[in-house]
Amino acid sequence: MSGWVTLSSRAPGARVPRPAADQPPSKTGQRSSVTLGPRDRLIGQLHIDGDVLLSGTIEGEIHATGDVEIDDEAKVTASVAGSDVSIRGHVSGPVTARKRLVVARSGSVTGDVRVARLVIQDGASFSGNVSMGPQVEAAAPQEPEPEAPAPEVQVLPATDGNAGPSAPAGKGKPVPIKGKPKR
Amino acid sequence: MGPNDSLEGKLTYDGSVHVDGRAEGEFRVTGNIDVASGAKVKALLEASNVTIKGDVEGALNARDKLILGRGAKLIGDITVRRLQIEDGASLNGHVRMGDFEQQGSGG
Repeated sequence: MSGWVTLSSRAPGARVPRPAADQPPSKTGQRSSVTLGPRDRLIGQLHIDGDVLLSGTIEGEIHATGDVEIDDEAKVTASVAGSDVSIRGHVSGPVTARKRLVVARSGSVTGDVRVARLVIQDGASFSGNVSMGPQVEAAAPQEPEPEAPAPEVQVLPATDGNAGPSAPAGKGKPVPIKGKPKR
Repeated sequence: MGPNDSLEGKLTYDGSVHVDGRAEGEFRVTGNIDVASGAKVKALLEASNVTIKGDVEGALNARDKLILGRGAKLIGDITVRRLQIEDGASLNGHVRMGDFEQQGSGG
C-alpha cells in the first residue's frame, strides 16, 4: 500500500508516524489514514481504503473500509460508513457501522443507523431509526483483510517449586495509540 | 415483581415498577421502570426513567432517561429525553429524542 495520506490544516509535525514497512498491517487494516482538520471542508464523496478522522465540515458521502472518527468540532451532513464509527461531533445523515458505532456525550446524530453494535453515552443526542444485528456485516462490502500470521506462542510446561526469574513483572510504558494533533 | 411473577394487562401506577418476570400489556407509571436481566416484557411502557437489562418489545416513552444495559434487547420505537446505551445492548426501532406530546402526571 502506498502509505498515509494526510489532508490537514493542522501542523504537519502532528501527523501520526508512518508504520515501518516491515510491520504487518494491523488488524483494522490501517493502510492509510485521512485527516480533515477543523478548518477543512469537503463537499462530495470520499472513499478511503483505511481510516478517516474528520473535524471539519463535510457534505456528501464518507465511506471508509477502516474506522471513521468524527471529532467534536465536526459538522457532517453526509452518509457515513465505516467499520468502527465514533462520533463526537454533529452528524446528520445515515450512519453504517459494520462493527460498532459509538456516540459520545458531545455527539449528536440525526439519521438512520445500521450497526452491529451500538453505544450511546449519556448526554449524546440521537434521533432516527436503529437497525442492529450481525446482518450489517454481511450486507456491507467486505474488505479483504490481510491475515496476519499468528504469532508463535510457546507454552512452557508448568514447573513446580521455584520457577526461577522467568517473568519479571514488566511495567510497559503506556503507548499512545493515536497522537492528538495540536496546533 | 419476582422472576416467577407475571402480569398481563394495563397498569397505571403511582410509583416505580421493577420487573423480574414476564409482563404484557400497558404500563404507565409516574416513577421509574426497571426491567431486570432475564425479564421478558411485551408492553407499552411509559415512565420517568427506564432501565432495561432484559428483553423488551413495544413502544417506550421515558420522560427523562432510558438506559439500555449490557445484555438488554429492545425492539420498538422509543421517545426519550436522554438516552444511554451500553455496549452489548441491542436496539431495533425508531428513536426520538427531546420533545413529547404526552406529558405524564408525575413531576
